[in-house]
Amino acid sequence: MKTAKINVKDGDLLATLREFFRSILQLDDISAILVPQHLPMKNVVMPTLVTDPEQLNGANPLAPVFPMNAGKIVSRLTRKPTGGKVAVVLRPCEIRAFIELVKLKQGRIEEVVLVGIDCLGAYKNVDYAQMIEKEETEFTSRFYRNVLSGKEMAEQGFDLNPACKACEHPIPSGADILIGLFGVDTNKNLLVQARTPKGEDLYRNLDLSNAEEPPERAAVVEALIAERTAYRDKMFAETTEVTNSVEKLNIYLANCINCYNCRVACPVCYCKECVFVTDVFNHEPIQYLRWANRKGVIKMPTDTVFYHITRLAHMSTACVGCGQCSNACPNNIPVMELFRTVSFRTQKAFEYEPGRSVEDDPPLSVFREDELSDVVGIG
Amino acid sequence: MKKKIGKALVVGAGISGIRAALDLAEFGYGVTLIDRSPHIGGILSQLDYQFPTDHCGMCKMLPLVDRDSSSQYCLRKGLFHENIDIHLSTELASVQGEPGHFQIMLRQKPNLVDPARCIGCGECVKVCPVEIPDSFNAGLSVRKAIYLPVPHAIPNSYIIDTMACTKCGDCEAICPTGAVKILEEVQKDFRILVVDDELILRDSLKEWLQDEGFTVDTAASGPEALDLLSKQAYQLMLTDIKMPGMDGVELLQKAKEDFPDLCVVMMTAYATVETAVEAMKIGALDYFLKPFDPDTLVPIVLRIYQDIEAAKEAPMEVGAIVFCGGTAYFNPADGKNTFGYGVYPNVVTSLEFERILSGTGPSQGRLIRPSDSKPIQKVAWLQCVGSRDIQIDADFCSSICCMYAIKEALVAKEKAEAELEAVIFYMDMRTFGKSFQRYRDRAENEHGIRFQRGRVHTVLQDETSGDLIISHIDYSGACREEVFDMVVLSVGQKPASGTTALSEMVGISLNQWGFGQTQPFSLTQTDQEGILLGGSFSGLKDINESVIQASAAALSASRVIHTAGGSLAPELIPDEPLLDVSKEPPRVMVAVCTCGDLLPKLLDTKQLVRRLEIDPAVNQVVFIEQTCTAEGWENLVDLVEKHKPNRVLIGVCLPYIYERKISELGRQAGLNPALIDVVDIMHIAQSSTLKAETPSTDEISAVNKELLAILGMGVGRLKWADPAPVPSVRIIQKALIVGGGIAGMTSALAIADHGFQVDLVEQEEMLGGNLNWLQRTLEGNSTKTILEETILKVEKHSLIRVHSGSRVLASYGQVGRFYTTIEHKEKGALTVEHGVTILATGGAEATTTSYGYGTDKAIVTQKELEQKLSDKTLEPAQLGSVVMIQCVDSREEPRNYCSRICCATALKHALHFKEENPDIAIYILYRDIMTYGFAETYYTQARKAGVIFIPYHMAEKPEVTTLDGSVQVTAAESIIGQKVQIDADLVVLATGIVSTLPKDLAEAFGVTLDQDGFFEEAEYKWRPVDSLKEGIFACGLTHSPRNITESIATAEAASQRALRILSHEQMPAGKVVAEVHHSLCSLCELCIGACPYGARTLDLDLEKILVNAAMCQGCGSCAAVCPNSASILVGFSDRQMFDVIDFALEGTALD
Repeated sequence: MKTAKINVKDGDLLATLREFFRSILQLDDISAILVPQHLPMKNVVMPTLVTDPEQLNGANPLAPVFPMNAGKIVSRLTRKPTGGKVAVVLRPCEIRAFIELVKLKQGRIEEVVLVGIDCLGAYKNVDYAQMIEKEETEFTSRFYRNVLSGKEMAEQGFDLNPACKACEHPIPSGADILIGLFGVDTNKNLLVQARTPKGEDLYRNLDLSNAEEPPERAAVVEALIAERTAYRDKMFAETTEVTNSVEKLNIYLANCINCYNCRVACPVCYCKECVFVTDVFNHEPIQYLRWANRKGVIKMPTDTVFYHITRLAHMSTACVGCGQCSNACPNNIPVMELFRTVSFRTQKAFEYEPGRSVEDDPPLSVFREDELSDVVGIG
Repeated sequence: MKKKIGKALVVGAGISGIRAALDLAEFGYGVTLIDRSPHIGGILSQLDYQFPTDHCGMCKMLPLVDRDSSSQYCLRKGLFHENIDIHLSTELASVQGEPGHFQIMLRQKPNLVDPARCIGCGECVKVCPVEIPDSFNAGLSVRKAIYLPVPHAIPNSYIIDTMACTKCGDCEAICPTGAVKILEEVQKDFRILVVDDELILRDSLKEWLQDEGFTVDTAASGPEALDLLSKQAYQLMLTDIKMPGMDGVELLQKAKEDFPDLCVVMMTAYATVETAVEAMKIGALDYFLKPFDPDTLVPIVLRIYQDIEAAKEAPMEVGAIVFCGGTAYFNPADGKNTFGYGVYPNVVTSLEFERILSGTGPSQGRLIRPSDSKPIQKVAWLQCVGSRDIQIDADFCSSICCMYAIKEALVAKEKAEAELEAVIFYMDMRTFGKSFQRYRDRAENEHGIRFQRGRVHTVLQDETSGDLIISHIDYSGACREEVFDMVVLSVGQKPASGTTALSEMVGISLNQWGFGQTQPFSLTQTDQEGILLGGSFSGLKDINESVIQASAAALSASRVIHTAGGSLAPELIPDEPLLDVSKEPPRVMVAVCTCGDLLPKLLDTKQLVRRLEIDPAVNQVVFIEQTCTAEGWENLVDLVEKHKPNRVLIGVCLPYIYERKISELGRQAGLNPALIDVVDIMHIAQSSTLKAETPSTDEISAVNKELLAILGMGVGRLKWADPAPVPSVRIIQKALIVGGGIAGMTSALAIADHGFQVDLVEQEEMLGGNLNWLQRTLEGNSTKTILEETILKVEKHSLIRVHSGSRVLASYGQVGRFYTTIEHKEKGALTVEHGVTILATGGAEATTTSYGYGTDKAIVTQKELEQKLSDKTLEPAQLGSVVMIQCVDSREEPRNYCSRICCATALKHALHFKEENPDIAIYILYRDIMTYGFAETYYTQARKAGVIFIPYHMAEKPEVTTLDGSVQVTAAESIIGQKVQIDADLVVLATGIVSTLPKDLAEAFGVTLDQDGFFEEAEYKWRPVDSLKEGIFACGLTHSPRNITESIATAEAASQRALRILSHEQMPAGKVVAEVHHSLCSLCELCIGACPYGARTLDLDLEKILVNAAMCQGCGSCAAVCPNSASILVGFSDRQMFDVIDFALEGTALD
C-alpha cells in the first residue's frame, strides 16, 4: 500500500481536494471524474460527471449531504465498456453499494477508479436544505472542522442521519485511492493511499511524495467505529423491540402508502421494474373484497408489510446501510432502522459483508450442502 | 406422440426392469413391464439407504427429456409412463415366435381388491383375523391377510394374500367402497370335474376347490366321468391314473376325443413320471403327485385356471424380451454353518438388518435388537455367507455384500442412539467399484468401523443376556472370541425362484450355478436372439451395474425390434389443433365428483357453488356422481362439450389415475391438457364424517370450507395458467463419438444400426485401442475375433464416418445441437454438427517406478507380460519362479481406487503359466483379491493349481531387490509370522488403469472429471453413463476401469441413453419449464448460477437470458433466486401461487 501526504493550503480542505481531483482528471488514461458538486442553479449537492478540469470549482465531497447513493450512478456509467477510465469520488457506503451492483452484473469495475474519502456523515436531505439557507458558503468548512475536532454535530435542532451515526464503515476500505481525514492533521495535510494495484497505477502518475500514515490514525478510527457500533447496537435493540411480532410490524409500517420511494432510493435494489408495480400485484377487485370478507376489516392499501418483507428477503443481505430509504420516505417511517436490524442478522447468517469485495459471491448464488444446518434442521 | 409399432416386454420391475423399460419407452417403443410381486421396485423397495450417499435417489432415473410422458415423483411410490403398461402380480406364461415377433402370454394373479375402488382407508385390516409374518419386513413383524404390499406405493391399494386368507368375508363386509370381492362370481362359472375311486380324496378336493369359489363335481370312475362330461361342459378335469376298470389314461384319451378343448390334469399316487409324461404326450396338461395338501394343490389349480382364462385373450406380440428377474438371497438356515440363524433371535440377515434400519421397519427405524428391544451397541457383520463357499456349491462372489455391509455399518452408526461399535469380518474386502475404496477408507479411518480379516467359524448365544459370542481365527492364525449384541449375516445370491422353469420355457442357458448365462463379451445377450438379460438375473449386481446393464439390455432389445422393422413412426391420427384460448378471459368449469351420494350428505352444495361462482372466472360448477366409472366420465365429457369452458377443474379421488384421461379429454375438447387439472377432494369425505349418517351443521361447514379451499386453489392455478404450447428443441439426429476403441466402436454401431449417422474420431491411425495388444480373457475368449469383427462392421457401415488420426479441437453447443471441430494431421480441420456426444477416449496401464521397475528386465508390468507371451519373447517353460505384485500404486492415495482387472489378469497369466509349465512356482502378493462375481471360480482354480497367494499390508509392502541380474522379493507372511524371500525369474507388477481423457477435451464438452481423472457421471448409481450436462455420455475406460465385457456394456448403455434423444426430431420440453420475462429482466445472471442443469445462458448479442427448454427440469431454482419474477416457472407464476395460498387460508375465513 502506497501512502502519501498532500499539503493543505490555508486549512482549506475543499480547495486542496479540488486541486487533487484536477490532477487526476488531467491524467492520460482518465477520461472523466464523477464528483459531488454544488450545482450553480440550485443550492444542492449532486453527483456530476466532469471532463473539463475547469468545471471542478464547485466540487464538494465533504458537504454533509448526499441526496442519492451515487453507487447507482456509477453502475449506470459502467454497465458496458466505454473505452476509458472514470475516476469516481464516493462515500464508503456508495462504494460498497457499487461493489454489490457489480456482483449483480449491473456495473463493471474494470473501467472505474474508486476514490473514497473518509466519511464525516450527512444530514437528512430536507434538514440540509434548511440548514444551508443561512450560511451558504461556509457551512461545509464549519461542518468538517467541527467533526474533525470532535465537536457535537447536532445544531439548529438538526442531527446527523441515524444511518450515519450507526455506520461502522467510515473508512472507504474498498477504494482504489483513499483520502484520509481521521487522525490526520487536516490543517496541514491530507492522507492519500493507493489501496489496490489499480490505485497504485494512478498514484504513480500523480507526482506524490511517499509518507507514513500518522500513527494516531488507527486509534482515532477505532474509537469512532466503537462509538458508532454502540449507537448501532442500541438502535438494533430499540428497533427489535418495536418490530418483533407481526402485530408490531404492522404498526411500524402502518403509514406506508406503497409509494415505493424507498426502493427507488435504495442503491442495491436493482430490478428494472419492481415486482410490486407489475401485474402480479394488480389484484382483481374481487380479491380485495375476498380479503376483507375473511377478516372483516383490512388496511388499505394492501401489501405494504408484504412489500417491505419482500424487499428485506431480496435485498437485506446486500444492504449497505446508507439510509437513503429513510431519507426518501414521505411519511417518516424509519425504514433504515428496520433494514439494518434485519440485515445484521441475515448477513451474519451467511457470513457475508456486502460491499467488502467483488470476490465474495452473494449468498443466494452460492450453494453449500452443509450451510445453515440449525435453520434447516439437517446436517 | 409417437405411434408405437415396436414393443418390448420387460420381465421384472425392479431397478433394472424399470431402467430398461424407461429406456425403451423414452426411445419411443411401447413397453409391457411385468412383475410377479404386487409392487414395483424389487428389492429396492425394502432398502432405504444406498451408498455412497447413504440416501435413496431412485427418482434420478426418471426421464429428463420429454419428462411429461412420465410421472415425476418418488419412483419408489410409483411409475406412470405413457409408453409403459405395468402389470403386477403377473408372470410370463408362454413365449413363442421369433426375434422381433414373439407371441407372449401373461398370467396374472386374480386381484380380490379392485384397485380402482380401493381408497386405502385400511378398515379391512382392522377386521382381518389372520396374522402372518410380514415379508416386507423380512418376517420381523406381522401383517394381516389383507395388506399393503409396500407402505409407500401410489396408488396404494390393499391386496389379499390368498394363501393366508380364511375367506371369512369380514373385509368384504366392511369395505366402504365395495372394492373387496373375495368370492369372485366368475370363478363359479369355472367347472371342475374330479375323478377318483377314493371317496375321501374326491370329497376333500371338492371342498378345497369349492372354497376357492370353483364349481366342482365328482365322479368315482371313468365311465361316470364320461357320462358327466356329456351332460355338462367342464373346463378342467382332475383324474386319478390308477382306477379300477377304465384308468386315467384311457379316460383322458376318450375324453379328449369328444372334448378336445377340455384341460386334463393327471393325479397319481405313484411317482411314475413315465405314465404321467405319457399322459401329457396324449394331451394332459400337467400331473400332480399324491399325496397333496391344499397348500400345494390349490395354487396349481389356480394357476391352471388363470392360464385357461388368459388363453382366452389374444397373445401379445413383442419384438424383444428383457429379463430383469433379479436374484434371490441365500437363506443361512440352509447352509452347512447356520451361524445360529433361525435359532438365535439376534442373528439376522443383512436384508433383515436393512429393515431394522428403516423408518418403516419393525421398530420404526429404532436400532433395537429383536430378542429384548435392547438398543444395539455392538454389531458384527459376517461376510460371504452363501458366497465363496465351495461346500455349498457357491464358488462365486456375490459382488455387493462388502459394500452393503460397510453402508449398513455406517448407517447404523449414524442412526444408533448411543455410540455403536461395528466390526466387519471378511476374507477380502471387495471394493472394486469407482469410489468404493475411498468409501471403505473413510468408514475405517473417519467413522471407526473395524475391518477384521478372517472367517468366523462359530456363533454362540449367551443364554441369559442373548448376546452373541463370535469365535474367529485372526490374521496371525490365532483363535479369538468377541461378544456382540447382534450378528448380521451378509447373505449372498442364489438364483431367483422359477429361474430354471423360465429358462426352459424360453430356451436360454443358465450357468453352472443356475444364473442366466450371457454370450462372450456381452452382459446381456443370451443364446436366444431377442431375449436379453438385465440386472441381477445373471448374477448379483449393485445398483450402478444393474442400471448400466439394464440400459445395455434395452439397447440390444431395441436393436432387435428395430431390425425386425418395428421402428418408430409419426402418429397417424392427425392431432386436432388445440384451440387458442390465450385471447379469451378464463372460463373455468369446476366438476365435483360426489362419490355416489356421499358428498351431498356432507355438504351445503348451494353455498359451495355460490362461493366458487363469486369469481367471474368460474363459469359453472357441476356435480358428477361417480367420475371413476365410465358413465361418470362420459357425463363429464358431455358437460365439457356442452359448456365449452376453456379450462376444466376436476375434483375427485386418486388424481394420478386421470393422467391419460386428461390428455384424451384435452384432445376431444381441443384444450391444451395443461388447462385441465385434477385435485384430490375425496380425503375430506373420508377423514371427516364418513360414518356419520347425519352430520352436524358445524361438520358441514367444515367440509364446505375445506372443499372450497381445495377447489379454490385449483381454480387459482388454472385461471392464471399460461395456455401457450409446450416448447420443444430441434435435434440434429447425428452422434459424435470420440475414441475408436472397443467401447467407441460398439457405440458407433449401436447408434448407426438404429439409422442415425455417426462421426467416430480416433486419434490413432488404427481403430481398436487396447484390444490391439490384448490376446484373450480370463474366461479364455479370444479378443482378436471380436476386434476384427467389430472393426469390419464399423468400416463397412454406411452411416459411420471414421476420422482416424484425428482429434477434437473444440466444441460448443447444447443437447440437440453441438458443433465440434475435428482436426486431422494432414487433411486439416472440419466441423461436424451432432445432437449427442459419447466420450470413449479410453485408458491405459499406469506407469510406475515402484518395486524396482525399470532397473531389471525381469521386472515387467502385466501388460508387458501379455505382450511377451503373445510375441513369444517369454517362454513359460524357461521360468522357475514368478512373483506377481498386485495393487502397485493403486488403492492408495493419490490413485486410491481399484482397477478391477488386475486380479483377473494376474489369475489369467498364473493359470496360463501353470498350464504351460506346472512346475513354475507362482506367488501372488495381494491386498484383497478382487475376483467379484463368477470370476471367483478362477481364484479357486488357481489355488487348486498350486498358485501361492500371500496377502500384504500397506504398512508392510513387499520389497524387490535386484543384484547382479537376479531379482529377490521379500514379503511378510502373516501366518508363519516371518518374512519370506523369493528368488524370482520374473516379477510382474499390476499397476492398474489410468484414464487418458484429456482435461481440455473434457472442458471442451463441458464435462467434469473426478479426482482420478475419470469421467464424472451425473449420479454414480442412478445415471451412471450420463454427464450432468445433458446430451453427453461416456463409456469404457473413460468412465472407469473395467474389463472388455463391462466396457462394452457401458458403451451399449451410453448408446441407449443417446438414442433416447436422437430418436426425436423435436424434443418436447416439460409442461413445467422456466421462462424469462425479458422486459423485466435486469440481466443480473443470478439465475444462471442457480440453475443446476446448466440450462441458462446469457446471449450477449441479444442481451437476453436464454433457457434451453429441453435441459430445464422445472426445478424452479431460477424463479426463486430472481427478485422480480423476471424468471418464472410455467404453472407456478406469482399470481397462481398467490391464489393458491389465498385459498389455502380459506379455512381461516369468517363465516
